Amino acid sequence: MNHNEFDVIIIGGGITGAGTQRDCAMRGLRTLLIERSDIATGATGRNHGLLHSGARYAVNDPESAEECIKENMILRRIASHCVEETDGLFITLPEDDLGYQQTFVEACRKAGIRAEIIDPDLARRLEPSVNPDLIGAVRVPDGSVDPFRLCAANMLDAKLHGGQVRLHTEVTGFIREGDTIRGVHTRNRTTGEEADYYAPVTVNACGIWGQHIAELAGVRIGMYPAKGALLVFAHRVNNRVINRCRKPSNADILVPGDTVCIIGTTSTRIPFEECDHVAVTPDEVTLLITEGAKMAPALSSTRILRAYAGVRPLVSADNDPTGRNISRGIVCLDHEIRDGLKGFVTITGGKLMTYRLMAEIATDTVCRKLQVNKTCQTADTPLPGSEERSYEAVAQKIWETPSMAQKAAAARLGTRASSIQTHDRLDEALICECEEVSVGEVNAAIERLDASTLTDLRRRTRIGMGTCQGEFCACRAAGLLAKAHGCVEKERDDLANFLQERWKGNFPIGWGDTLREAEYTQWVYKHVLGL
Amino acid sequence: MKFHTVIIGGGLAGLVSGISLQKAGKSTAIISNGQNALHFFSGSFETLEEVPQRMVDLLEEAGIRTHYQPGVRLMPLGTFRPAALSLEDISLFPTPRFGKKVLIVTFRGYHDFFSSFLAEGLEKQGMTCRIHPLDLPQLEWLEQSPSEMRSVQIARTMDRIWEVVVQEVRILLKDEDTVVLPQVFGLQDTSVPGRIRQGIPAQVVFAGTLPPSVPGIRTQMLLKRRYELLGGTYLMGDEATTAHVHDGVVHSIVTKNLDSHFLEADHFILASGGFFSKGLKSNPFRIHEPVFGLDVEQAPDRNDWYHPEFMSDQPYLSYGVKTDAGLHPLQAGAPMKNLYAVGSILGGTRPEMGSAAGLAIRSALTAVDQILNQPNA
Repeated sequence: MNHNEFDVIIIGGGITGAGTQRDCAMRGLRTLLIERSDIATGATGRNHGLLHSGARYAVNDPESAEECIKENMILRRIASHCVEETDGLFITLPEDDLGYQQTFVEACRKAGIRAEIIDPDLARRLEPSVNPDLIGAVRVPDGSVDPFRLCAANMLDAKLHGGQVRLHTEVTGFIREGDTIRGVHTRNRTTGEEADYYAPVTVNACGIWGQHIAELAGVRIGMYPAKGALLVFAHRVNNRVINRCRKPSNADILVPGDTVCIIGTTSTRIPFEECDHVAVTPDEVTLLITEGAKMAPALSSTRILRAYAGVRPLVSADNDPTGRNISRGIVCLDHEIRDGLKGFVTITGGKLMTYRLMAEIATDTVCRKLQVNKTCQTADTPLPGSEERSYEAVAQKIWETPSMAQKAAAARLGTRASSIQTHDRLDEALICECEEVSVGEVNAAIERLDASTLTDLRRRTRIGMGTCQGEFCACRAAGLLAKAHGCVEKERDDLANFLQERWKGNFPIGWGDTLREAEYTQWVYKHVLGL
Repeated sequence: MKFHTVIIGGGLAGLVSGISLQKAGKSTAIISNGQNALHFFSGSFETLEEVPQRMVDLLEEAGIRTHYQPGVRLMPLGTFRPAALSLEDISLFPTPRFGKKVLIVTFRGYHDFFSSFLAEGLEKQGMTCRIHPLDLPQLEWLEQSPSEMRSVQIARTMDRIWEVVVQEVRILLKDEDTVVLPQVFGLQDTSVPGRIRQGIPAQVVFAGTLPPSVPGIRTQMLLKRRYELLGGTYLMGDEATTAHVHDGVVHSIVTKNLDSHFLEADHFILASGGFFSKGLKSNPFRIHEPVFGLDVEQAPDRNDWYHPEFMSDQPYLSYGVKTDAGLHPLQAGAPMKNLYAVGSILGGTRPEMGSAAGLAIRSALTAVDQILNQPNA
């Protein structure tokens, strides 16, 4: 068997691709995942990190709401180290219509979502950061989820089931014989190396970029890029998710995650060409702060760490050229049935919350085409790291009396924390002090999670995601990467790229402490370190 | 409390002002809110060709010996920059190829010194490099806590055990003509870098680490000591909040700690630094100077404050308080009569002033001259 031949090729290293690869690999297929950049670089890593209860969709989109609550309960089981069970509130402010609350609660119940109206006073006690003027509150099982961790865990499990992953590799074209896709041409974007891979089925799981991939294959999908801007605050202002109890609108979700909290989002149609370069505008920043402060007044005086934007992969319901009939639901296209093109499947639409279901649907399609009769097990089998539900128990099992840093590592890695080298206390030295990431954890991410740049490391370890946004940890981690790759020249460029990436998220909010930090960073890197 | 001059800011510009005025027999006070830019000082003062002798003398009198020769200096990430008037422990070379065989010595588990970057940079110049991490039992106490292996903590130990490092390097040395060591020597005892050079039979080069900068902290301590020996009052950990001003004349300064005891003076020097030091503050709408509400040069639209490329010349870095030709800052367009702005608060638009450290010293000396040359001084 040629080493370039697989049962299925999956294009796209976001959560949908990673989840599909895991499902396919667990059903015994030989899989290859190809990603042009790094894991979770598209919409997967550019959202709230909200573990939706589905309540947000209950009134307008009951089908999505039902999918969400089912997946919510599944993720709590199979991805416990990626999920924080924070609980959530839907609050009504004096300017909102309290009458909507009843409609909302009824719709939630119909969709199977536990929704409990509570006294505003209880809401103030449960969540002290909430606007004290609220006139109504509903409790729902929202939570938060770390999409980077979730994506890495899915990919890791696929690899543990024999899957192969090629990151920083671009699909440049398809190998087509008549009406059948036989494989893909690829080019490694770092080394320039070209390679062909073959499989009887290729899955397009590229989110908004799926339109382009489909075009390469010779079929058309109508996608509608919608930009959403978000802000990360430097403190965890709230401990529960706070939503507005009204028709979904701008900047009405505030999600706590690790040491920070995130407000979002906006929704703007953008031209397709802008998808690779979305930027947050000053108007969006103003809107997010103003609306956010209505839900949690402390936000108006809390330092903002970063602004970022993602692009939702909205798809027109099939073959509707007008784009009027847009769905946020899951779209799985078997192009053999739709376009007469064999060996090609597109899985798109949907959302982070329903990635597992999307993967299941895509894998069912792949299996049907390959005539493989295996059932899906992803709803019951925990991801690597989630075999134990409490990270404190995990930390205790490994270290007996774990330090704060070790507890932080266990919270990030779950049971996989035991695989970090700790036989030498030098491995426990901290590279990132904000997020307490050790030398051992960085080295593990380089060795086992395919991190090849500082930005890759950020997604896998939270290095540089804390208050200082990678001021010094970037430099320390660059030293470790240079050692692992034996290439300093590349690492110096990597460091410059990392600082540039950081600035992209910083200058839209460049005032106060952010501007202080930026002045300091430029001074240190340019004039003191000589970058 | 009444002084001849009150200085806001205890960094390089403030200390140079204070020392010069004390030397002239004037009573001064410096209000310092703690850390300043010297804590991340590269060790090089002046990038301009022409170095004023007064600058060299003033530093020398404080026990800070500097040197200069045309050529280059080695940066911590293995790159080179043009030579500048630098602390004595910063090596300056006529060309980047300063040796043939180099031994780079670091410490086990120390991540703030970039030995592999240095090696690559030197090898590019045609040198051969060997990296050796020293495993010193005297540093084990730092390894106990994962965040302790930092330059200042190591430097504290090195003040005591630098001779051990010399011995270890002598044993390690084979046929290398140059030894590169991290800048973690001579935090308190300024003679240590020189004595290390004497003790090692090869050219010794000290390369920088991640901040805090050990030579920078040493410089700060020496200047502060000199200032206090001259009788200056250094108010550590205090912060100027507001000023009493009438008709463009400053009468006194209010500080956080001194409460109703205003600091009165005939002259005032504002050396409170740039954004990092909080000499300039910013909000989404404007950049402002918090103590006097001075006029600050800036683009009216926040979008114009930045360049999207991080390492480019960022417009905001050029912003500073507006002054007249005599460094009198403007308030609502009119110069403040007995106030002088010096150092980074002037912004970076004055290339004739040289680097940040050069600007700090030059502008401080200019302000002091003006104060002393006044008929009633």
